[in-house]
Amino acid sequence: MRLAVLIALMLAAAAPAAAHTGHGLAGGFTGGFLHPLFGLDHVVAMVAVGLWGAFLGAPAIFILPIVFPLVMAFGGVLGILGIPLPGVEFGIAVSAVVLGLMVALAARPHLAVAALLVGLFAIFHGHAHGAELPDGADALAYSLGFVIATGLLHLAGIGFGWLAQWPQGRMAVRAAGSAIALAGLVFLGRLI
Amino acid sequence: MRRTALAAAALLAASGPAPAHTVIDGVGGFPGGLLHPLLVPAHALLLMTLGLLAGRESTQCRMLVLLFALALVAAVALIAAAVAGNTQAAILWLCAVGGALLALGWPLPAVLAAALVATGAVALMLDSVPAVLSVQETLSALGGTAISAFALFTLFAAFSARATRPWQQIGRRIVGSWAAASAILVLALRFVT
Repeated sequence: MRLAVLIALMLAAAAPAAAHTGHGLAGGFTGGFLHPLFGLDHVVAMVAVGLWGAFLGAPAIFILPIVFPLVMAFGGVLGILGIPLPGVEFGIAVSAVVLGLMVALAARPHLAVAALLVGLFAIFHGHAHGAELPDGADALAYSLGFVIATGLLHLAGIGFGWLAQWPQGRMAVRAAGSAIALAGLVFLGRLI
Repeated sequence: MRRTALAAAALLAASGPAPAHTVIDGVGGFPGGLLHPLLVPAHALLLMTLGLLAGRESTQCRMLVLLFALALVAAVALIAAAVAGNTQAAILWLCAVGGALLALGWPLPAVLAAALVATGAVALMLDSVPAVLSVQETLSALGGTAISAFALFTLFAAFSARATRPWQQIGRRIVGSWAAASAILVLALRFVT
């Protein structure tokens, strides 16, 4: 209890980490951490990756959070270098639909197929965020915040997906997948 | 316990943002050097990545910690002999490679692990030379940086060496993946600026 109070006080008292240069919120860890959390299309797709991992089981559930950031970084590099990728926003919206459906249907394809699908969508997400990465001496803090937030969204999905080991939990996880697919359709509708 | 917790909370509440690589008001010389690896994200990331990597190599861990210490001393000697260089890109590359190796989870050849650790120590020290004219203050700051860097590296190595359970090893691989991804993104930025 005391530890919880101390942690709460520490979080309340923490100042933004403006190391190297003071570009404020947009240039530091906080800016990077919050960036993916404010894009609902990104949030639902990342959570869906974690949820799907629950149905795919081991080793996919462990491999996805390790491989995804690296593939996403590859997409980010394409975005930073200005290498065009057609239909980025479309790809992100489709990722929510497809990944949501995979969860809703409790699909269990071969690991290679799942990895290919998730990797493909990771490139779209990485490209979109890479293109928005701010230049500056504390870009590393921003990138760390961005990558960690994305990883925590996966872990949140995996945590919720853990419920799938019980029948009611399985229904809840599949319902969450359906909601994500529906949200993806809304994102798609806005683009068309 | 209660007093300690309140004191810690009060100290944190009073703390301000940390502008690393710039002059910290009232903190220079040895204390400034001590704080340097903690305040520069790239340095902290490098120490974490290489420390976790060294701790993972259980049979070579002690040798790698010793090598890191020797490389820090050698780097100070190099700086004293007026060797200089911009090693920021090298630090990011080491973060990217070290993080990717952590993520892969493969055992490392001893020579490669030693090369990464030694290069990391030298690159970190070369990038930590303070912008002051006084030789005494420079050496004092570098001494602080070396001690702090060694302590952090050893801490991460010890933590990693004890991470033997499957979930702990997966967690280490995930952290490596995050470190590599972040470093790769910033390296890409260097190509367009």
